[in-house]
Amino acid sequence: MAAEANAQTSAQAVRRPIVETLRTVFGPLVQLLLFVVGSAIALSLLVILLSLVQLGARPDLLTRTLTILPQVLIDGLVRGFLFSTIALGYTMVYGVLEFINFAHGEIFMVGGVTGAAVGLFLASIGLLEGMNPLFFVLLVVLIGMIVSGTLAVTVERVAYRPLRGTPRLVPLISAIGVSLVLQDVVRLIMTNSPMGFNARYNAPDFGPPIRLFEMTLGDRPVPIIISPKALVFITAAVIMLIVLNYLVNATRLGKAIRATAQDMPTASLMGINVNRIITLTFLIGGALGGAAGALFGLNVGTVNPYMGFIPGLKAFTAAVLGGIGNITGAMVGGLVLGFLEAFVASYLSLFTNGALSGAAYADIVAFSILILILIFRPSGLLGESTTQKV
Amino acid sequence: MALLEATNITKTFGGLTAVNDVTLIIEKGVIASVIGPNGAGKTTFFNMLTGIYKPDKGAILFDGKSIAGTRPDQIAALGMRRTFQNIRLFDNMTVLENVLVGMHTRLHVPFWQIIASAPGVRREETKARDEARERLAYVGLDAKREELAKNLPYGDQRRLEIARALAGDPKLILLDEPTAGMNPQETDAATGLIRRLRDDLGLTVVLIEHDMRLVMAISERISVLDYGTKIAEGDAHTIRSNPRVIEAYLGKGAAGAAA
Amino acid sequence: MATMSPPTNLWEQVKATLSRGPTGYSFLGLYAAICTWLLLTNPRTSLNTDIAFALFLLLLLIIYRSQVALGFKVALGGVMLLVVLPIFGTLNPFYIDVATQAGIFVALALGLNVVVGFAGLLDLGYVAFFAVGAYLWGILSTEQMTLMNPAWSPVPPIMFYPFIFLGLIVGAIFGVLLGLPVLRLRGDYLAIVTLGFGEVIRVLANNLDRPINITNGSQGIRGIARPPLIFADFVRNTLGLNLDDQQLYQQFFYFTVLLIVLLTVVVVSRLKHSRIGRAWEAIREDETAAIAQGIPLVRTKLLAFAVGASFAGAMGVIFASKQLFINPPTFDLIRSINILAMVILGGMGSIPGVMLGAVLVTMLDLQILPRLATVLRDLQRAGAPIPSAFDPTQYQRLFFGLLLILMMIFRPTGILPDERRKEELVEDQVVDLPLDDGEVDGGQPPPPTQAPPGSGPIT
Repeated sequence: MAAEANAQTSAQAVRRPIVETLRTVFGPLVQLLLFVVGSAIALSLLVILLSLVQLGARPDLLTRTLTILPQVLIDGLVRGFLFSTIALGYTMVYGVLEFINFAHGEIFMVGGVTGAAVGLFLASIGLLEGMNPLFFVLLVVLIGMIVSGTLAVTVERVAYRPLRGTPRLVPLISAIGVSLVLQDVVRLIMTNSPMGFNARYNAPDFGPPIRLFEMTLGDRPVPIIISPKALVFITAAVIMLIVLNYLVNATRLGKAIRATAQDMPTASLMGINVNRIITLTFLIGGALGGAAGALFGLNVGTVNPYMGFIPGLKAFTAAVLGGIGNITGAMVGGLVLGFLEAFVASYLSLFTNGALSGAAYADIVAFSILILILIFRPSGLLGESTTQKV
Repeated sequence: MALLEATNITKTFGGLTAVNDVTLIIEKGVIASVIGPNGAGKTTFFNMLTGIYKPDKGAILFDGKSIAGTRPDQIAALGMRRTFQNIRLFDNMTVLENVLVGMHTRLHVPFWQIIASAPGVRREETKARDEARERLAYVGLDAKREELAKNLPYGDQRRLEIARALAGDPKLILLDEPTAGMNPQETDAATGLIRRLRDDLGLTVVLIEHDMRLVMAISERISVLDYGTKIAEGDAHTIRSNPRVIEAYLGKGAAGAAA
Repeated sequence: MATMSPPTNLWEQVKATLSRGPTGYSFLGLYAAICTWLLLTNPRTSLNTDIAFALFLLLLLIIYRSQVALGFKVALGGVMLLVVLPIFGTLNPFYIDVATQAGIFVALALGLNVVVGFAGLLDLGYVAFFAVGAYLWGILSTEQMTLMNPAWSPVPPIMFYPFIFLGLIVGAIFGVLLGLPVLRLRGDYLAIVTLGFGEVIRVLANNLDRPINITNGSQGIRGIARPPLIFADFVRNTLGLNLDDQQLYQQFFYFTVLLIVLLTVVVVSRLKHSRIGRAWEAIREDETAAIAQGIPLVRTKLLAFAVGASFAGAMGVIFASKQLFINPPTFDLIRSINILAMVILGGMGSIPGVMLGAVLVTMLDLQILPRLATVLRDLQRAGAPIPSAFDPTQYQRLFFGLLLILMMIFRPTGILPDERRKEELVEDQVVDLPLDDGEVDGGQPPPPTQAPPGSGPIT
């Protein structure tokens, strides 16, 4: 509700004081934070409760549950921000065109592959070794954003724009085609280059894992660690979300985007160049996806041409979960889904004593959530409370 | 007993009350009109009668059965059919097929018989086609039955919508602005058609209409909505001389012209 | 199909001459004879035989599109499909396998066409129903039964026949189970949810080897039962054909698939031209208006889902038995897309179109791409600048992706668009429909006024 009020005031005020802008930008982030903390606490309590229930049969379960809990939370955060950044691309395009850009997962993948290519190139000319890690991150993110953003805009021009005004499913089928074509074109390029199908993501040394703190469970100390790359990923994602919020909620361009999303014909009557706004939407969404890809590839260490598909689907789920078309919703949905997945992936096999593989069933959980949300609350978590569309 | 009794219907969207405590009783065999300025809630009211919206408050009895909350397709099957303000034909189907779709609730051969191509299927289909052509002939479109609906001229599309509604053998037919966008000749033809629906076929007709000449000429009963509230009801004469209607609907300056 | 000639007046005349009257009969007869001769004298798998085989398929299309008497069409088509192709199959096992494969996909595409083409519901997880049928027979006919529970044993192979029917029913049940919750969703959401469902089924197949081994996980199921060759004696002794078991099975599956395809076509076209088909089309055109005609939305959509899924379920049983081996990747998303591409290429909603699309895509998959691969390898050896790692058979996604995009942009109605059934105005009107309208205006979207009904296939 706060976000809505803020958005409206910001739209009305011509010259708003800096405090106002800050509130506009950070309001959604506070909301995001609440959801993050909320779902983290709720899920933690749930697993602790589940382990207490089984305590009689398996006395060590509680200790084991608590031991991995912080790591699971960090994992959830990484996954969550991954889904959030990709989901933003889906939600922005949907907000403006009411169209599911099925190929967005591939835009993300292209960002990752681009990052790996940059790493490989730097390594081949010998620059990578001594490079400042943060400078490297900046470089791959920037190049990834440029390549993916350009690609997204090109795809829109070639495969979607000619189909505007046709029945809904026509551009969707075209988007599915684009998704497949991109996968194989990238594969063709990668397998005919030194990268190969599964390309290593070369990067400068980021140093040893950061030891956050240590907790003692029973008699042995358990260190809580986070890899520097994960930390970079989370930080970069938060910065991107802030910038995007500023862009959409506090600038003239953002106002034009929101107007186009509300009502395209009227927006064009008000002198907004709708085609330019659509291009920009694809550019921003694509750039975000590209940055996410570059960072994610760095985080996991390898990239391949098919790596975008499943995260893409899950990010779409996240966008729907948060209320498609709603920017804050996409972020919230991404994080909630990320936590859920991390918890299922880690605890399912623990609680079923290895009978069910958590990693495999995490996918099923994600899709089940998608189906349940679409059936019972198609407007998503934030669908009605905040009417702020893209 | 009246054919349709909608009592104390209220519907709000967000903060806006689109229809406020409206009661409409339609006797069997009448031509009734619901009029009112744009945005008065007429189409919303129709949408509640046909089940597309569920009223927030109030009861709707159709032919003695309560239909508030009944699904639209069930209401259609009970014999209440409608046309749409912004013509909604099945554009890429032929004129005849459009009418056949309108007959859907009256065709009953089961699934397995269709697959087995049992003799009953052909019989029912032939009968349906003959009947559909009768309906088309009734509105004067039989010659165009093989054309795609989207290729028909505007006036024919309106008539096709009526033929499609007739195909369901309705007891009550709701016409949402049946003459919108028509020239005077077309309007006259449409007026004749609507009158025949009642006189020949014994149908009960409710229309939403802006054309006052048409409304006054054929309606036995007129209800006036303004801002979601019913402000007047009665025959053409009563409505014509009702000061509230003249003020709210026709506008103050039009009082002389209407009288 | 007849891509070689521009649509000149002369061409139209030639076509008119060849498609009816005495010239029509003699042309078809001659063509059929040449085809038969070419096939039977070229038993080796080669480019020449590929071409002869393509000519054979083209013949079937031409028979269908010509204006000769129906009895002649049926007789000629019947001879070609029931006699010539099986005999050719005894000489060369490859092509009859292609034909069987094509038949399986024709049935699948016809099933998906009910959902996508008739009712306008984009189903991206269609292959899940195929998987359900395949795993049904795969699990119940093999040692998996004993692995699940030592007290159980596999069903006898003769049960294959009732299991085709069971596959039909189980497919329909899964169609309803998926459909019930999701059919209220708007079109594009439905597409994503069905995609998710397809993935869920695949992931389940991949992981249900623990805690109880139901599907044998990623290993897949081997040694799936084939029905006993009850007709072997008849073929060998009465017909005097000396065929080994392998060949007999090929013939068996070919005829079984052909029979199912025939049944599918009959069922699908009867439905299409019934009150149910009209209801599907009405929903596709305008849901609100369809409801106002008294069409129950969810129930009608569910029926489409169930009908489509049931064909896939039945074909799954046959497929598993024919292949002897199934594993989860057999049923991945790309397979669903494959079938969707068949429907879209041929023409959504058009039964002959979809059949043509299925045959073309299967040919592309099994013949054209491998052939292209050999050509490229030869060119490479000759020094052409072709990337060494480019093997066209491995780039299905690329080809099908391009196919989907290009079809959507240039010809969303497909190459054989759905035609309105014109009563009383039959035959003579249809004659002038150019056989090759795939090429006539292939360069631009068809103008809206001429667009056949499929042009607004899905809303």
